[in-house]
Parts: sequence; C-alpha cells; structure tokens
Amino acid sequence: MKRSIGAAAGAFLLALSVFPSPGFPLLYIDINAPGGKRMPIAVADVVVGPGDPSLSRGIPKILSDDLVLTDLFDLVPPTAHMETVTAAHFSGKPLSFPGWKMIGAEAVVIGKAEAQGGRLSIEMRLYDATQGTLLLGKRYTGTPGQLRSIVHRFANEIVYTFTGVRGVFGTEIAFSARSGKSKGKELYIVGMDGQGLRKVTDNRSYNLFPRWSPDGQWLAYTSYRTGAPNVYLRNVLTGTEKAVVQFGGSKAPGGFSPDGAWLYSGVSRAGNSDIFRVRVVGGAAEKVVVGWGLEVSPSPSPDGRRIAFVSDRGGSPQVYVKTIGVAGETRISTGTGYATSPSWSPAGDRIAYTARSGGRFIVATVAPDGSGLREVASAPDGDCEDPSFSPDGRSLVYTYRKKGYSALKIISTDGRRQRTLVSGLGGAGSPAWSPGR
Amino acid sequence: MKGTFSWKWAVLALSIAALMSVGCAKKQTVKSEGAAGGPGPAAVGEAPMKEAPPAPPLEEKLASAAEAGVAATEERPSQFDDVRFDFDQSVVTEDGRRASAVVAAYLKKNPGAKVLIEGHCDERGTAEYNLALGDRRATAVMTYLVSLGVSKGAVSTVSFGKEKPLDPGSNEEAWAKNRRAHFVLQ
Repeated sequence: MKRSIGAAAGAFLLALSVFPSPGFPLLYIDINAPGGKRMPIAVADVVVGPGDPSLSRGIPKILSDDLVLTDLFDLVPPTAHMETVTAAHFSGKPLSFPGWKMIGAEAVVIGKAEAQGGRLSIEMRLYDATQGTLLLGKRYTGTPGQLRSIVHRFANEIVYTFTGVRGVFGTEIAFSARSGKSKGKELYIVGMDGQGLRKVTDNRSYNLFPRWSPDGQWLAYTSYRTGAPNVYLRNVLTGTEKAVVQFGGSKAPGGFSPDGAWLYSGVSRAGNSDIFRVRVVGGAAEKVVVGWGLEVSPSPSPDGRRIAFVSDRGGSPQVYVKTIGVAGETRISTGTGYATSPSWSPAGDRIAYTARSGGRFIVATVAPDGSGLREVASAPDGDCEDPSFSPDGRSLVYTYRKKGYSALKIISTDGRRQRTLVSGLGGAGSPAWSPGR
Repeated sequence: MKGTFSWKWAVLALSIAALMSVGCAKKQTVKSEGAAGGPGPAAVGEAPMKEAPPAPPLEEKLASAAEAGVAATEERPSQFDDVRFDFDQSVVTEDGRRASAVVAAYLKKNPGAKVLIEGHCDERGTAEYNLALGDRRATAVMTYLVSLGVSKGAVSTVSFGKEKPLDPGSNEEAWAKNRRAHFVLQ
C-alpha cells in the first residue's frame, strides 16, 4: 500500500496551457435549454510519437465516451474522418477545416502523445471548424497510469469551453455495499464513468454513509468495526483514519461545512437523535438541531449558512431547512408521508430527497423554500433512494432497489437521461458524489 | 509507478523486514499478510475490484475490537423472544411488553447478568433514518425494562438500523420480523 502512495505522490500531473486562453467562443451550448441542439464534434486519431500505438485510438475513445455522457455533443464517427492528422499539424500546418465541416463537424479535437521512460506526455487541441480558430490547447505530463485522468481533464476543459460550467469527468462516487459472502458492508469508490471500482474499507463489519470532505481527500463514514456505530474520517489516498464524534450512540455523518472545518452528523443520545456539528480538528461539538423528534441526515448548503435535514417531529419523517444559529425551521417536503435523505445542489438552488409515493420510494427535487417540487427518478418495479448531486449540478446519483437487487444509477436532473453506474454488488446504497476534480 | 522510486522502496522494504525480524513470530506473520493484502488506493486508480484474501493468519492477530465488528454482522442467538414493532413506530406493544417482562424477570433473578438490546428496522426507507429509529426502538424497550425494576447497569442498547435483517425477504411477513428489538445476553 505504501509503495503506491509514494509513487503516486512522485508522479504528480503537470498541465500547461499551450496557448493563451481564447476569449468567449462563438460556439456555445446552452445547458439550460432542455432538449437543446447537440454540438457535432470530431475527435481525430491521436498522433503517437514514441510509445504504445494503441493510444492513437485509445485516447479518442476515452474522450469520446466522456463527451457522449454529457449529452451535449454528437460525435462524428471516425470512419467518416477524411484528413489524417500528423505531427506537422502541431507545428504550423493548418487543418483542412472545410473537409471537417463537410462531414458535419463544428468542432475538431486533435492530439499528440508520447510515452517514454515511464512518462506520458499528451498535447490536445480543440478547434472551431467553422472559424478555423484554436479554442483550447493543453499539454499534460504524467505517468502512463494517469492516462484516463489526463483525458478526463481535457474533456472537462472542452465542456467548460462550450458551456461555462466545468465537466465532472474524473470525479468519483463513494458508496456502501456488501463484499462477496461477507454479511458486512464495505465502502467502495467508483469513477463517475463506471471505471476503477475499488474497495476502500476491509473490516467485514458494517461500513456505511460515506461523505466527502470538500477537498475530496477524506471520507467521513459510520463503521461498526468495534461492534458499535462510530464515525471515522479516512484519507482516501493514504488510508489514514481517525475517530470523530466522540459521544452518543448511533451516529451517521451528513456532510461537511464548505470550509471543511465542521462535520455535521446525526447523533443518538438516550434513543433520541439530534443534529450536531463537530470540529474535524479537536472534536469540539455544537448542537445544531435538537428536539424530541428524530433529527437525522444534515446536508449543509453550499454557502454553509443553512442545512437541510430530516425530522419526524410532525409524526412522519419530513425534510426541513434551517439557517444555522437562527431559531426556526421550515418544512419543505410536501404531499408525502415519508421524506428523507436531503442533498443540497452545488448551486444552492435545489434540494433532492427521497419521497414515498404510492407505496414506492422516488427521488424528487425542490427549491430550498419548498416551491417547485419535481419528480426526477422513479421505477414501477422498485425504489429510487438516497440522491447525491454531481459537482456541476446536472446529474444525481441514487440507489435503485428491487427484490434482491440493488444498483447505483445516474440521472440528469431533468429526468431525461439515465444510466446504471454500478450493479452486481449486494445492498449497494448511500452513494456520495465527490467534489470537482 | 515503478520508475525512480523502486530503489527507495526496496530499501524501505528491507528495513521493515529487518525491523520485523526483531519482533515475535506472530507479529511477523501478520505484517507480511497486511502488506500483501491487495493494492492500496492509488491516486489515479485503475485497479480492478479485488476481494481481499480471507487471510486466516490475519484473523488471529486482529484486535478484539475488530472481531467484535465482524461478530456484529452475525445474528446472535437469544433465549428471549424479540419485541416487534409497527412500521415507523417505536411504541412497545402489548406483545412486546410480555416479551420484555420475561427478560426483566430473568435479569432480576440473575443479578450480574447483562443484556444488550439490539434495535432493528425493515429494509424500507433511508438507512440513516432507520439507524436512528432502531436506536429509539432499543431505548423504548430498555426504558420499559427499567420501569419494571431492572437496574440501568444491566441493560445497554445498539442500533443496526436496516443493516441486519432477520429475514432477508422483501414482503410484509419478513418486514414484520425485521422490525424488532433483539435481546442478547452478554
């Protein structure tokens, strides 16, 4: 374990802008226009210097898969490409833009890669095919093991260039699921593209409710490793751990304050769960919501001033919003007898939660004042639960469960596009999307 | 990954090996097992999911706390009946009070005996809410036992939320069995 940490730290990734960043591009995608037109884009075979020739198609494949996932681009198939990109195109020779336009591309990506002596160097360029102008140019240096990470970064830059919002490639989802025949549950992490699934804990007890720190380095979670539920902080790179929330019975972390200084957590004392926040360093605790009801699942707003949480004070679990340090709490869930697991959107304008509807659980979103309720995910044959927003706010990851089957799914917040992220692990649940990378 | 660092790691591995040879044999087994226990999380992780080996020597070394963590996932036999609950409820019903009274009588007859009350929920609903609900159920039973004259020191509680169903089924019958307080003599 230690070996890989050291090596990873030594092989940090370098990214340089090849050219000064362009002004506002003429090509622009409005991500708020539902069903809007997609951008036709061509990703040419990459020119490989010394190194693995399979990178030539491998890099465009990773990049194209990313772009397709956004639902913002139409990929011009490689079989339609007419011009062969060569090293000369990186030293002054212009691309034949009319040719790219003719096959329908409004934007063209070209790239050049070299892999030598354990170093990987990739230069990527994005052109506006109509204007013939360079929109984006980046040079990355890293290790061959960082190939996917490098391409994800460039995909994020492309999305940013056309939409003004950074893409979420390279982000990850932490969740809890059974491991093999063990009755316990371990924490897992998987890339948002479904790649790189790995087990984080390995103690064969129950490990539940992973929550990312704002810097993406730590997971707070509940573990029964000592026989009782306690909250731990775990560094996802080094595996270093420490116990936090040193009081109470059952404890379930809800989320960190935006500065990472506080961890909000539900804590049961004498059978009554309240919401506390605990200093990550030092462990000092403050009451945030206390009452005779069960108060659980605190989700801080992105500005850190409010929290959404669950309380059953009115006779059934419902979602409430509270301004921290100010008296008064507003119920925002309506029309259901069971509303739980709120998750605040990164822009602060929506709160997703689980609602019971017609005997099933569904995922809905609502404005923080309780207006504009919208059903996002439901299934006729199962339950949709535990939503968590992507860092760009465009998608939600959630748990889908039916008899003896569980999966994690990702759905666009307008409910139009959906895909399965992870299936085949028992009891998968509590997904949490990492911050942007 | 293997590039410039391999020498340093080789040296480190050697020094660890040297250090271990000072320790007792038991420790040595465990250390090497741990080191071989699968790939660590790399910064740019591409490792396929790997089940860690069951590692019997590791189990011997595990602290009692960790064993308690594994044991917590096993259904623990009980001479007492479970107390059952209605959906989203923690009220101890008539039947539940009868089951609790048996436990109370036992504890009063056997001073020094201790019982752990596990609170459980059915699979429906959010895990965190169920964790808190399980706590409330276990505490409701504990409060009832104390009201019957059981000493507070003889009872403790833990909630397993919906993690540990008695019946893995997804139907009313299974759910009813799983909404329970379970007594474990300690």
